Order: sequence, then structure tokens, then C-alpha cells
Amino acid sequence: MAQAESHPRKYKVIGTRPVRHDGADKVTGRAIYGADLRLNGMVHGKILRSPHAHAVIKSIDTSAAAKLPGVVAVTTSADFPDLQDKIADLGEGAVNLAHLGANVLAHGKALYKGHAVAAVAATSPHVAQEALSLIKVEYEPLPAVTWVLDAMKDDAPLLHDDVYTKSMGKKADKPSNIAAHIHFEKGDVEDAFAGSDLVVEREFKTASVHQGYIEPHVSTALWNQDGHLTIWTSTQGSFTARQQTAELLQVPISQVTVVPCEIGGGFGGKIAVYLEPVAAMLSRKCGRPVKMVMSRDEVFEATGPTPGSSMRVKIGATKDGKLTAGEAWLAYDAGAFPGGVIGPGCMCVFSCYEFPAARVDGYDVLDNKPKTQAYRAPGATQAAFACESVIDELAEKLGIDPIEFRLKNAAKEGTRRVDGPVYPRVGFIETLEAAKASDHWKSPLEGKNRGRGIASGYWFNIGLKSSAAANVNPDGTVSLLEGSTDIGGTRTSVAMQLAETLGITAEAVHPKVVDTDSVGYTDVTGGSRVTFATGLAAYEVGRDILRQMCERAAILWECDAAEVESVDGEFKTKDKRMTFAELAGKLSQTGGPVVGRATVNPEGPTNGFGTHIVDVEVDPDTAKVTVLRYTAIQDAGKAIHPSYVEGQMQGGAVQGIGWALNEEYVFDGEGRMANASYLDYRMPTALDVPHIDTIIVEVPNPAHPYGVRGVGETPIVPPPAAMAVAVYHATGVRMQELPMSPPKLWAAMQK
Amino acid sequence: MKAFEYAAPRSESEVLELLSGEAGHTEVLAGGTDLVGLMKKMIVTPDRVVSLSRVASLKKIEADSTAVRVGAMVSLDELAENPVSEFYPAIRQAIDEIASLQLRSQGTLGGELCQRPRCWYFRDGHGLLAARGKDVVEGDSRFHAIFGNAGPAKFVCPSRLAPALVALDARLRILGPHSNDETLMPLEAFYRTPKSEREREFLLDPNQFVAQVILPHPEGRLSASYEVRHGAGPEYPLVSAASSILVERGRVVEARVVLGQVAPTPWISREAIDAIVGRPVTPETAEAAGEAAASVATPLRDNEYKVRLAKVAVKRSLLKAAGLETGGF
Amino acid sequence: MAKKTHVATTINGEPMEFLCEARQSLLEVLRDNLAMTGSKEGCNNGNCGACTVLLDGQPVDSCLVLAVEAEGAEITTVEGIADDSRLHPIQQCFLEEAALQCGVCTPGFIVTAKALLDRNPTPSEHEIRFQLAGNLCRCTGYDKIIRAVQDAGKRMAAEARGASTTTNGSPARQQQKQAT
Repeated sequence: MAQAESHPRKYKVIGTRPVRHDGADKVTGRAIYGADLRLNGMVHGKILRSPHAHAVIKSIDTSAAAKLPGVVAVTTSADFPDLQDKIADLGEGAVNLAHLGANVLAHGKALYKGHAVAAVAATSPHVAQEALSLIKVEYEPLPAVTWVLDAMKDDAPLLHDDVYTKSMGKKADKPSNIAAHIHFEKGDVEDAFAGSDLVVEREFKTASVHQGYIEPHVSTALWNQDGHLTIWTSTQGSFTARQQTAELLQVPISQVTVVPCEIGGGFGGKIAVYLEPVAAMLSRKCGRPVKMVMSRDEVFEATGPTPGSSMRVKIGATKDGKLTAGEAWLAYDAGAFPGGVIGPGCMCVFSCYEFPAARVDGYDVLDNKPKTQAYRAPGATQAAFACESVIDELAEKLGIDPIEFRLKNAAKEGTRRVDGPVYPRVGFIETLEAAKASDHWKSPLEGKNRGRGIASGYWFNIGLKSSAAANVNPDGTVSLLEGSTDIGGTRTSVAMQLAETLGITAEAVHPKVVDTDSVGYTDVTGGSRVTFATGLAAYEVGRDILRQMCERAAILWECDAAEVESVDGEFKTKDKRMTFAELAGKLSQTGGPVVGRATVNPEGPTNGFGTHIVDVEVDPDTAKVTVLRYTAIQDAGKAIHPSYVEGQMQGGAVQGIGWALNEEYVFDGEGRMANASYLDYRMPTALDVPHIDTIIVEVPNPAHPYGVRGVGETPIVPPPAAMAVAVYHATGVRMQELPMSPPKLWAAMQK
Repeated sequence: MKAFEYAAPRSESEVLELLSGEAGHTEVLAGGTDLVGLMKKMIVTPDRVVSLSRVASLKKIEADSTAVRVGAMVSLDELAENPVSEFYPAIRQAIDEIASLQLRSQGTLGGELCQRPRCWYFRDGHGLLAARGKDVVEGDSRFHAIFGNAGPAKFVCPSRLAPALVALDARLRILGPHSNDETLMPLEAFYRTPKSEREREFLLDPNQFVAQVILPHPEGRLSASYEVRHGAGPEYPLVSAASSILVERGRVVEARVVLGQVAPTPWISREAIDAIVGRPVTPETAEAAGEAAASVATPLRDNEYKVRLAKVAVKRSLLKAAGLETGGF
Repeated sequence: MAKKTHVATTINGEPMEFLCEARQSLLEVLRDNLAMTGSKEGCNNGNCGACTVLLDGQPVDSCLVLAVEAEGAEITTVEGIADDSRLHPIQQCFLEEAALQCGVCTPGFIVTAKALLDRNPTPSEHEIRFQLAGNLCRCTGYDKIIRAVQDAGKRMAAEARGASTTTNGSPARQQQKQAT
């Protein structure tokens, strides 16, 4: 891995705000998103979904649908290979293929409303929809469970008869909805609580919420007559999509090419495959390209959500404000299949602070919801809502300013997290200092029914595998090929790092996200990793190019390559110099093209910390909360393109506001999601939020040549806790349940 | 969407010729903001859709000294921007609460009044009564009716303009298949609480349609609408109220107080009216009117909160009509 | 196959005729029949605004318009916002101010913003937020979108003023940059 260079540094490209490379295509409607793809002979696939939250599928009769004029193929899980409990490593986590397959098309049992049961392809989407109504499915409905604590009861409806609680490496002897129990412990917890001057223990619960990306899932597959399968899709990871699809169809990965289209948001929800294998199977059956697009209600009912949770957090402190001990009990639902996000939840719950002793127990719990997926700092937001609420209450009871209380206990270089790792240089303290110095914190909040809240949050940010290659053009520009799908402007943040390394302008780099046959393996766009890890790959590509270009200059100058230096876009020896563009124009005379390449696999987290401040006003008669002012502060390590760093902070904050105030999955008496539309789900609109002010703190990451930490996920972690504290100061009520929707807040205010 | 035959007649009489007397066979298309979505989900599956978009007479706003006649195809934006709406603040305010440029320019007055309930069981294909009310009672009823909910219908009337229009004594001009079949119906009589899945939530035969909304001259009446919503966006209110009052010598001599989103029909609160008539509008009397309105509520398991909101909405709509500070935001 | 209807419209200034089924929405026809995929489908139910087009100058959710209803109408889509060789100030401001991330809601915002700014180039922040509340964005938190629309309005007003005195928009633009 590259060594960190000395900081602070003067950069020419990094820290500037160029127009993104894909910008003109995106503001003119030319960019091709998954649903925009059109292929000759293309037909349209649709999925029949379970109307029941939990039911045995006794039979499926597709014969009438197959006979409808215009229908070209029909499929069910019976067409797919039988997958044993094989575990596949998907980069950001392992997955049990039998479960993944049964999520894509139900095997024997429907486990949530919206669970895919069968699929058809037809010459028009309308015909496909009509065909679905001709498929006869005989169900035997079973009792359903959608609240995590109910699902943990001994007499709860059991989702799987082959899932046994895994706990500390041991497997239980009877099947259970509790798929896993996680336990961490540091120090003597009982002793530490006994030595505390003050202990606060509170219970919390949060509802399931959806990532809410505006683009529904979409996939087009062509299983060619030569056996090669090509998939065009909107995915966070084309290589993991390829791997999942190949595994589910039991074909070699070399037989599958995934072409990533532009992607309309993901936030963690577009990593698992849903449509790809089904479109592929339909294509194999009809020999034509099959396009499948989900409707919005399918997106809500069958993809995504992040877990609902039940949490208990207990924290002790001395009267001078030092934390003594922490204890957390976290139960997150995983939805219909094991493998939710309880792990990172447990690792993050106490990750902002130095705890001499702490214990964390976590439970991964099955219930009749869609299989939960990652959602921006998966698992951390729930945990931070609980932990930060208790931290605020402790600070208040101890009579210490909440920022000072955090500063006294803040995680810093050398702090050991409860789950083991020791932090390198991190920037949490700097975010707190920036909060303290901010105009927002220093301006008094005036007016009745108003309150201010502050909370912090942590997310790991990951490294993982990235590849990139770049070709030097004779006009001095560089074409960059990368495998990271671009959800929020990473083409530009990656290209800028290559430009900085080469000493050329951002505009002189032409980045392109290419398919799985055209670039080296690259992990998902997730874990806030692209600007960090793919950026690191771009830096290494730049170094590779510079090394080769120095050799070319040496040929021209008839000197030793070691005598040639590259500085700020120039190649020079003691007495000669040439610009990057000049040398690029002479490559054909010196041996031909120069192509740089790199693969990287940085390990360990890059540690993102943020602190948010919010002012709210609560209507005392209706308990409706209005956000008056918001400031998000975050350590970005180094902001490559500050506008897009700010954008991540603003977007995460507003998603967090939605989670805090309104968003939730509502289930009816039979466990069916009732509010599967944007209208009923209520995501924030432009009118629901104020401007989100941002303060970027830069404490360079020692593990990156430009100090990048990754920024995408941390901003969603603090908002619910900060909002709850603000609501407390406005109303006197500490809300321990999300969302703090008006009915719930009003009920709490009556107590 | 199921395939259907589309017709775009040019006149009111041509519309009538195209409408079938058989329930479910034809649907009348106005702005499409509700009907198209219902057809996509196959909740409504007509064989023929009769569009009103080419009928010029339905797009006019006509005013004389006694009334304003608004064609059913006038868009919500056109109505709010027309000078006549100055006389009817309750209407203008109700439209201004619809925070979607698109839905305001696309949605029409007639369509707004005839939109189908937002009840999520209805929208998921469980029928208007959703298993004769069982789905609501046993499921999540947070947005359902708190008044008039003793029968199987638990949904709420979704119209955001109906409370204001009922408060303003609006009438509908309804046309039917025969040449003399023109009904002038008070809007409050138009809505009904269905007792079976065969009944719709308004009194419109399959071969009738709403052509005009007639607003009597306010003659000095003050009016206002007030909505309580979760958020600020284009979502439907949790509860709304519209009040129309005639104030003489500082006292209310005549009042109409109508709640929205609380019952299968717009809910005229006799209790609130009795409480405010004869008194000046003050924060105290407005609050008392709200209390009176809420006193007869029969909330379901999950919607006690809406009773609270009913009080607030009535209070604030009265204060707003009287030009006083409402509190809240 | 369901019966098809002939529809004559003008799209982005050009006469355009198409055949469609009565059950096809305008959005579906634009995207599937006419290969104009700039208008996006986010919810197909009028709740997200990603499919917004101007129909006779009015912003509408094209997913809720039956294509047959567009007979005789003038339609403007995101593909028709830019000049031949130059982006519209709204598009330019979206780019310069990073008002998009994934970009899938962007066409809808740009078309809605055009409807708004054509009526009033100097709306307040609240007016912009109100008028754009029918468009959902999940990435940006709206902050940069609101600022970009506000700045675009100022540029449009400046360009309208400058049009009579200069042959191109650049002096007005530079002035505007200094002002912001």
C-alpha cells in the first residue's frame, strides 16, 4: 500500500470543484440507466408475488398464462438448480446461496408479502401483467410475525425449519428464528458499573425503513444461443452481480458478462440480485433479451429494508464525566433470511467512545419481511440512536455540556473498540471541536417549543478490491477504465486523483465505468469505499504511467530513466523538460502506447466520524416537528471534490431526518406491508427540510496517499439521535422510538 | 393495465351517449391523477374510458351576481389563480396546501371531488370496505375514520377540497342519460357511506357525470381551510377542517364547520357549529368548538390521535377564517 | 394485441406522430415507442415527479397522462431543454453546483424548475421548495438543487436583460457569478 505523503499539501486538482464528467449526459436525459436500455427483439418480464406474508405454496399452475397470446416464457423456482447451503463470499459479506436463490424465487414457502413466486415474459409489459393474473397458485396461509421481539418468542411462527441459532461458534439443537447471537466483551463490566456514579439504562425501538432510491430495480438479460449470458443492470457491483447470477444458475462466471448501466441510487439496496437470474432464465427459455423493471410497490415489498430493531443500552459514568461501562442488547430483524446487519450494529454501538469496560449482545432475527439489506452505514444508525440518546441524558444529568462530555470520552488514536480493533489516527475530536466552534452551536436558539440537539456517529468505511487501467492519448489526455459503478459522482472523484497524480487537469482524464470483461475485479460501490479504494487504484495507475513515461522520456533524451523526474505534470532532467502532453504526443516514436494499470486491496476500515446539530420546533397541539436549522460536520480525511462530499453529508442527513420523523414500514394484521407507495411511505420532500449546512473536517487518513477516508455512509448515523435530543429540548419528552411521527410524539407528550 | 376502449367526445351530450348504465363498464377520465393509477393497479378495470378533456364547456369559469359556476375540467391551478377564488379563501387555501406543481396543474376540480379513497386496503385490492371493515379493524387503522365508522365503511373521504366546498354550500350540476336529466345536488348530499361493495362512495349512477360545481356568492361569509399533515409534501392530510362563518356585530350568526379525512364523507360538525354560533371567534370559543366536534368521535384502535387533530383543525380553521393567529404552523 | 390509436403531437418543437394503445401512458410512449428515455419512471403513480414533462406548458407527471390524451398537444421533455449547442442555465447550474448525485431524478427536477422559472425567475427559497415538492430526490437532501434553481433563475433573468445589449450571454453570466 502507498505510504502517506506529508500533510498538509498543496494540491492542484484535489479540493477543486470541476463539473462531473458524466454531467452533460445526466442533465440532458441522455445517460442510459438500466430501464433506458433497448435491445432488438426485447421482451418484458414480470413477477408474480405472494399476497400473503407467510404461506406454504402448495402448487403453481402456469399453463393458462403460457397460453396467453404474446407470452413467450414462464418460470418458477423449479427451473433453477437445487442449491445446497453453499456460502459465497460477495466481497462485502458472505451469502448462503440457497437462501439467496429462495429469495429470488420462493421455494415451497412464501416468507413475506411480495415474495417472488413465478415470472413471465411477454411481448409487452401489459401482456406480461395480464399473464400474471392467469397463474394459479394454491397457498396455505400461515401465521406471520413482523416485530423482532415477537419473532424471538418460543411460540413464534417459525420461518425456516433448518435455521438454528449460531452463538459463539456453537449451533443450537432446535430450529429458531434467532439465526445468530453475537457477543463482545471488554473489561469487567459488572465491576465497572458498580464503580459508576451514575448509570442510565433505556430501551429503544425502530421501525423498518427503506433505502428509497428513486430508480426501481431493473435488469435485462440475453442468454445467447452460444451459451453466453449478458446482463445489463443497475447495480452497486457488477462483479458481485455476475458472481451471484452465475452461482444461482450454476454456470461458470466466465459465461456471464455484467454490463453496468447508470444507476439511480442504491444506498446498499442494490447489491443483492433480485431480477438478474430470473431475467436470465426467461431469456434462456425464449431466446430473446428479457427486460424486467420493478414497480415502486414491488421495490417496497420485495427489496431492501433496513432492520427494525429493539435495543437496550446502559451506560455508566463518574460524576466528573468519564464513561465507566457500557452494555448493549440489540435485536435486529433480518427479514425472511438470515444475515442481517446486526454485526456492524454491535461493532458500532459504542464505537465513538473510550469505554474501559463494555458488553454487547446482538441477535439476528428472522421475521416475515423482505430480506433486509444494507442501508448506508448498515446497522449503525439504529445503534447510534440508542447510544447517543443515553449519552445525551447522562451529560444532562451530570450537568456537563454534551460536546464537552463527548470530548472527555471521545475515541482517538489508540482507543480500542469494544469488538477489538485499535483506532489509528481518527478525526472524531476534530468534528466535536468544529461543532463547538460552529456558527450554529454558538447562535442561541430562541422561541417557544423549540429545541436543539447534537449527536455523533461512526462508520467503518471499507477498503476491498479495486482495479483500474488507463490509456495515455496522444493529445495528453488519459482514458480511465474502472469497475466501480458511479452512484454519486465517483467517476470524477476517482479521475481527479489520477489527474493529481499525473499533474494534469481533471478534465484531461476521461473516466469510464466498464463491464466485467473490460476491467479487473472490483468490489461493490458500498462501504464508502470508491473514492478511497478505487481512488487509490487510480493513484497507482498514475504512478505506473509516470514510471513508464519517465522511461520514454529517457529514450528521447538518451539518458538513464532514473535521471528523469516527474513533477507537477512535467518530466525533467537537470537540463531538459517536457510537459505531460508533449511527451504523450511522442509515445509512438518511443515504443507505442502507454497503459497504466493497478489493482489494490487495502484492508481495514478508514474510520469516518461525524457530528450533527439540529434545531426543531414542535407544534404543541399536533406534535408535528419542523426542522429549522441543520449542520452536519464530518471528517472526510481529505475532500477530493468538496461539493460531492457536502452532497453526501446533506443527503445522508435528510435520509436520517426521514428515518427520524416519518418513514416506516406499516404492517397490517396479517403481516402485510400496508404503505408500499411513496405517497404513504412519506420520504422527505424539498419542503420538509431546510438547507443543510456542512463543515468538512480534514484529518488525513494515514492509509491513503491523499488522506481520503470515504464519506458516504457516516452522515446518516447521527440524525435520528440528534433529532430526538432536539425534540426533547422542545417538548421535555425523550423519544425512544422511531419514527417520532406526530401520533407517537403526541402520545408521549401526554404522559 | 387492462386494455380498454378510449373515447374523447366533444360535447356533454356525446359524453352521456358513451357512458354505460352498467356499473364498472365505463369510467370518466378527467385529469387522470387518480384514475390512471387505479387502472394500472387493476383496482379499476373499465372496458371504456370516456375522457372529458375535449369538452370545452367543462373548462369554463362563469360568474354572475349570485354564484360562480366552475366546470369540472378546470384545473386546480386555474381555479386557485382565477380572481373568483378570492371570494372563497377556503378553496384557495385548500389548493395551496397541495404541494405538487404537477398534480395542481393536472388535477381537475371534478376529478378532485370524485377521487377514490386512499385507504391502503382498497388500494391493495381488498375492496372499498376491505372485508366489510375487518381488514381495518384488525389491521392498522391509523389513517381511518373517527366519525361515521359504525358500519363496514372505515375509509375516509380523500377529497381535500370537499370540506371547503361543503362549508361554502357548493352544489354539483350532474348530468344523466336523459335530456331532462340534470340534477343540482348539494355537495354534502353527493357523498355517502356505502353499506356494501356494490355501492360507491358517492351518489353518481354509472351513466351520470359531474359537469359543474356551483358556488353561491359568499355574501360576506368568511372562510378558511386548515390541514394537519405529517410532513409538508404532497401527501394527504391526517385531518383537515374548513369553516365558513357569517359574523355580525362581533358574533357568529351562521356557521358551517366541515372536517375532512375523518369519515367516509366530508363530516359536517353540528356540534362545532352549535358551539360557535352566537359567540365571537376567539381562541377560547374556537377551542370549545373543536372540543365539541371531537366529543362525538368514535376512534378505532389506532387513531385516537386523529381525534386530537380534529379539535385542532376545527379550532385553527375558525381562527383562520376570522383572520386571527392560529398558532402552530 | 389491443387496438392502436394514431396520435399527432409536437414534441420539443417537432411534429411527432405515433401509434399507441389506449392503456399506454405518455411516459411509456415517450420511452418505449419513441425512444426518448430522458423522462424517468420512479413510481409510475405521480408521487415522485421523475417523469415530469411540460404538456402545453404545464408540468405534468407523464406517468399519469394517457398518451392518447396528448392528441394535438405540445410536449417538452428534458431532451428539449437545452439549445442545439448550449445547455440551459438550469442544466448549467445543476452541473456547476453539483445538484445531482445519481441523476435519475434530475430530468424531472429540471423540467419542473423550468416551468417554475418561466413563470417567476426570482422565486424565494420557500417558493422553490414548495414548487419542487412534487419531485423526490433521495441523494442530495435538496440543498444544492434549491441553490442551483435559484441561481439559474438569476442567470435567466440576467440573460433576458442582457439579450438586448449583448450578443451572447457571457457578460451577464460573469456578472452573475460575481453576485453569487
